[in-house]
Amino acid sequence: MPVSLKMFSNKTVIGPSILINGRLSGDEDLTVRGRVEGEIALSRRLIVEKSGIVKANVSVKHAIISGVVVGNITATECVELTPGGRMVGDIASPRVIIVDGASFRGHILMGDVQTLRETRERLEAAKPTATSQVLASSRFSSLRPPSVPRLALGSPLSPLSQRPIPRPLTTLNAPSSPASAEASPEDGSPSDNDDAVVADKPLPPEPPEFMEASKRKIIVKKKK
Amino acid sequence: MANTIIGSSIVIDGEISGDEDLVIQGTVKGRISLKESLYVESSGIVEADIDTQNVEIAGRVTGNIVASDKVELKADCRVIGDIKSPRILIADGAAFKGNVDMDIKD
Repeated sequence: MPVSLKMFSNKTVIGPSILINGRLSGDEDLTVRGRVEGEIALSRRLIVEKSGIVKANVSVKHAIISGVVVGNITATECVELTPGGRMVGDIASPRVIIVDGASFRGHILMGDVQTLRETRERLEAAKPTATSQVLASSRFSSLRPPSVPRLALGSPLSPLSQRPIPRPLTTLNAPSSPASAEASPEDGSPSDNDDAVVADKPLPPEPPEFMEASKRKIIVKKKK
Repeated sequence: MANTIIGSSIVIDGEISGDEDLVIQGTVKGRISLKESLYVESSGIVEADIDTQNVEIAGRVTGNIVASDKVELKADCRVIGDIKSPRILIADGAAFKGNVDMDIKD
């Protein structure tokens, strides 16, 4: 047995003259240079090289297609069509990359609500300092309903950041005590994206807070 | 060099055919027909009928084997099934159950 093959011990390759007809599953990278028909289920990457032809329903983490794929692909991470890639079928993946030269016909679904939520949570987990700063600066946070902090965390990360604005403001308006005075600049921070809206709404509570809010503007704009 | 490798965590249920060497470190069920050599490594498990030119087995194979050239059962392999080939080598330590047919013509 060729010893040199041991080098590829954790990599599966389907050579150019090989035809596999059936179900293929596994937990390692798979490179297809030949032909696979049926079904592919992997917990890692699928690489379809130029000579590769896949006629199968594919479920993987990451797919890189330089050859031909006919069938549906569901990826938990990413689907990439390189310049030589040709595909007919549907793609469901949080990230889809199609470069110039690739051809594709089918439907694309970029991440349903659940995967979007997961990615947002992952982003939050990856930036504990940023979110904790927001939390730390809001001394008012303990008084808020539990849903409000979550909105505040999610808002700087997503393009939906404009939406949560009204809610913190309404919660602010309710208590006119000094506590609200501390909270208002914090809640105003995500709304700094457009000054016009901010200038209209929070003016009644306390003008001085605006000064603090404008300081935070820098942070918010950086993320935008 | 063989350029098709079925890695150790891969499971294939179906048919594999082709004109090149195939190395199996994972699991294959169904049918294998090649015009070249098949290597079943020690981690490989094959539950399939095999039709190739050359077979080297160090893992487990259940199924009938037809080889046009040679079948080699290495030490520590486990093979259950009939073998038909002009040349058959069984190493010390190999476990085998089945018929052997070297296709001797009278």
